[in-house]
Amino acid sequence: MRKVIGTLLAIALVTGVALVANRPGPAGAQGGGTIEATVTYAGAPVVEKLKVNKDTEKCGTEATVEKVVVGANKGLANAVVSVPSAKGGAPKAVKTTVDQHGCKFVPHVSAMTPGEMDLKNSDDILHNIHTYSTANPSINKAQPKFKKVMAEKFEKPEMIKLTCDVHSWMLGWVAVMPNPFFGVTGADGTAKIENVPPGKYTVEVWHETLGKQTKEVEVKAGQPTKVAIEMKK
Amino acid sequence: MRAAVLAATFIALVGAAPALVGAQAGDANAGKAVYQLKCVGCHGEKGDGKGPAAELLVPQPRDFTSGIYKIRTTAGKAPSDQDLFKVITDGMPGTSMPSWAVLPDKERWNLVAYIKAFAADKFKEAPKKLELPKEVASSAESIKRGKEMFEAIECNKCHGADGRADGPSRAELKDEWGHPIAPANLTKRWTFRGGASRNDIAMRLGAGVLGTPMPTFLDSVEKPEDIWHLTNYILSLGPDSPHYATLVTVTAVSDAIPDDPNADFWKKLTPNNIPLMGQVIVDPRNFNPSIDLVSVRAVYNDKEIAFHLTWDDPTQSTDDPAKKLFADAISLQFPPQPSSGTERPYFLMGDASDAVYLLRWENGKGVAESTANGPAKIAAIAGAEAGGKAVYANGQYRLVMKRPLVSKDATRPTFSPAAFMPVAFQAWDGGAGESGTRMSLTSWYYLRLEEPQSGRRFVIPPVVAILTLAVMLLVVRVANRRA
Repeated sequence: MRKVIGTLLAIALVTGVALVANRPGPAGAQGGGTIEATVTYAGAPVVEKLKVNKDTEKCGTEATVEKVVVGANKGLANAVVSVPSAKGGAPKAVKTTVDQHGCKFVPHVSAMTPGEMDLKNSDDILHNIHTYSTANPSINKAQPKFKKVMAEKFEKPEMIKLTCDVHSWMLGWVAVMPNPFFGVTGADGTAKIENVPPGKYTVEVWHETLGKQTKEVEVKAGQPTKVAIEMKK
Repeated sequence: MRAAVLAATFIALVGAAPALVGAQAGDANAGKAVYQLKCVGCHGEKGDGKGPAAELLVPQPRDFTSGIYKIRTTAGKAPSDQDLFKVITDGMPGTSMPSWAVLPDKERWNLVAYIKAFAADKFKEAPKKLELPKEVASSAESIKRGKEMFEAIECNKCHGADGRADGPSRAELKDEWGHPIAPANLTKRWTFRGGASRNDIAMRLGAGVLGTPMPTFLDSVEKPEDIWHLTNYILSLGPDSPHYATLVTVTAVSDAIPDDPNADFWKKLTPNNIPLMGQVIVDPRNFNPSIDLVSVRAVYNDKEIAFHLTWDDPTQSTDDPAKKLFADAISLQFPPQPSSGTERPYFLMGDASDAVYLLRWENGKGVAESTANGPAKIAAIAGAEAGGKAVYANGQYRLVMKRPLVSKDATRPTFSPAAFMPVAFQAWDGGAGESGTRMSLTSWYYLRLEEPQSGRRFVIPPVVAILTLAVMLLVVRVANRRA
């Protein structure tokens, strides 16, 4: 474990140094730090199972709705970790692609900065992208089998729910974030946010069923900052 | 008080001013008065769709505060004033929203203005008309292409392979508010919420139906004109109107009557379409009946009478109390004996003094005959005389029920040619939880067995012609002799 941390530290340092070295910007802009977040949840996973009555060759005979996914060491997957108040650094647009594959939205949760995203349909059957949002106009567009990719625009920061009326169990989320300082936790509950400009911030964690938690952190240039957040029901 | 009246007058005058310029600008304040008289019952005082009648209605009344409207001809989310005006004027077929054409035009425009005020922020931008691709007239090729597209974009997922609203996703469909919502039955376009014209249908395909699972297909067909091919195909799926019958004519045939409901024999007969309503007289009532139409074809020969019934039912179901499902069923009701006058038993399965005879088919059980003295007193008749056969495919039942013309006993009617026989219909969609008094029904109709066509019409006219000719020849000969 210590070795791993050491390696990570080294990588972070190297990255930091490299960034500092590469940046031609004003003298004040120093290399950013990295936030290494670990999100945990002590409760039980919530996975709903449904019998599928159509498109079984693509969707399988049993659909799973992964509402709370808990991995090893109580790591909580599919949580969006972000630093909403961070400003500066290299302004960067982050695009996301969500695939409708096996009658699931893959990835289940993804994040992007305001702009366009791609919606893929690799299932070769009809899906319809039906979003639930308030800040952005909600959409309900058919995506038949021959329509492999559709681009959609979301201009305002918001957590957007994706559904498909043809396959009612399909559920996904796209987090439109105000800045590129975010990450989505993997199966182990960790997420990494790189190049965060140094400073004191409130780190926010959002999960579709467990809601929001926040924690104060201080990010130092070229250093990784560890933050552990436990989600509660 | 006087100040209030003055203020109201002032607002009304100011509000009315634009109406002089554009005939379509309504006055929200004047609209409010009409709204409170005509609309609150369903749509509620606050416009949130929670009026006192709302809970009994399916689909639920519109929540105006959401600003979400099903029927639009616009590219954006908000409907145009004309869209709202059209819905108020024409109503929404297949729902509880009636036509308000009885109100003067001006009052309807005022209502439009008032309704928009419930979600003013949704109407801030001027609506932009949705431009549809260039119209394609209907033709055999267009309909063929429409069918291909119907299959490619999988309309069947909700609307069913033949368009009868029986698609596999049907049970999962929910509207924006989480209420279950049924797909449209594309074979009954007189029930389309936003109208059944070519343009209405193309517009629904193009713009989608907001707040429902129906998505927009404008950019989701292979070529833009496919919207019109689809429209032409949908128009080919059913008649423009149900052409309801007022009398059920029973055709006389000399051949044997086939048992198979899919036999060509039946296709040659004109259907008598009968509308059904929900039973709302006795508890438990059925405010939102599933079956709204039964097509009746009836024939008789010298021995038996047969009824061929066709009706749409999106789910084929049998009794399953655990899932609150019941067997699908349909029944024909007759008085046990035809009366000479206009007196008939009570149409809702008779009463204590006057019984009715029920000829009923039930999925899984077949045909049974019974005597009823009201919906709670139904007794099976011993010694079955009737039989039948049903088939179910793609959201539709077809059934043949047969029984002898002449009955053995007084509990069952005997059918005689050229006499009017009362008949009523009852139907149950068990998959929608209908059973017992939760049914669709009709009041009394009349059935008439047409007179058998004898061969005499081929004999008498030639005989008359020959006789006339003979008389003429005789007259000519007599006249010639005299001369």
